[in-house]
Amino acid sequence: MIPRKKRIQLTVENTSSLVIDSLCDQASVGGLRVGVAGLYYDFLSQKEQTITNMLGAILKQLVGMGNIPTYLREAFQEGRKDIGGRGLLLADLTRMLRRTIASLPQVFICIDALDECLPRDLPELLESLGDIVRESPKTRIFLTGRPHVKEAIQRFFAKAVVILICPNMDDVRNYVEMRLDMDDEPEAMSDGLRGEIVKTILEKMCDMCVRAFSISTLSTMCAYPRFRADFSLLRYTWTLSWKR
Amino acid sequence: MRWLSPLEPNIRHQGVRTNRFCGIGDWLLETCEFREWRCSEGGADGAVLFCPGNPGVGKTYLRQARDSQKEANTADSRKY
Repeated sequence: MIPRKKRIQLTVENTSSLVIDSLCDQASVGGLRVGVAGLYYDFLSQKEQTITNMLGAILKQLVGMGNIPTYLREAFQEGRKDIGGRGLLLADLTRMLRRTIASLPQVFICIDALDECLPRDLPELLESLGDIVRESPKTRIFLTGRPHVKEAIQRFFAKAVVILICPNMDDVRNYVEMRLDMDDEPEAMSDGLRGEIVKTILEKMCDMCVRAFSISTLSTMCAYPRFRADFSLLRYTWTLSWKR
Repeated sequence: MRWLSPLEPNIRHQGVRTNRFCGIGDWLLETCEFREWRCSEGGADGAVLFCPGNPGVGKTYLRQARDSQKEANTADSRKY
């Protein structure tokens, strides 16, 4: 049983974390020193998520795997001499990042929610990633985001592979059943009603685009005429949704 | 290391993976496109894999349901 109040996510962000974990697991199993870096863009953190900070975070993750390279130590020592310590400029940072990536057998860079990157930063970020790939062709870059950023990506990576994120019906069934398991009034549920809820939702999923698939979605689905006709289902889902 | 970047993406990653629903999205890892991308078979041309998804309410959504994994792996997977 999944603990109550735990927010389960079925999102593109979910996919990013899944891919990152899969790549990390692969790297540890194979025994190769494969570098994996994962970043999550967040609209609420745009001020902090400058391109310099994002590329710096990639470098930080990659050098964090082992000994800090000499060139990085020297740059740090040099920078701390003046005005109480100077940070890296983007050009210096990208140069060191490319050097670090070139020193590794393979590197995976995963960036989630690219659409939440500041529009003015996005071309520069993609250009920097393009430079990395040209210099280290084995580098793999995994990106997620809303569909509209596809054009920007394809301007820099014309042959980018695109896979739409769309859970299959087994995913949906498992999720609905899991959410029903979390109900704190199991006495209001019967096997018949439970089966009907799952069946109806799966049927509806074939015809509609569900935008928020959580318990709150159940209340949305209750707005459909055929759902209204079934009072017990309506009452149950409505109660369930307001409890969340 | 904070000198390189004040960002701590590992904290966000831990939060997301903790809340992940086991099994969701596994189909992606099994697609030919993902496997080829991971194995670097495409060289620089196949360096980028982009997974788009429409926005929903908040961050929790399903874009579209598919009848089967096969359909998700083929009909919706396009190469550019």
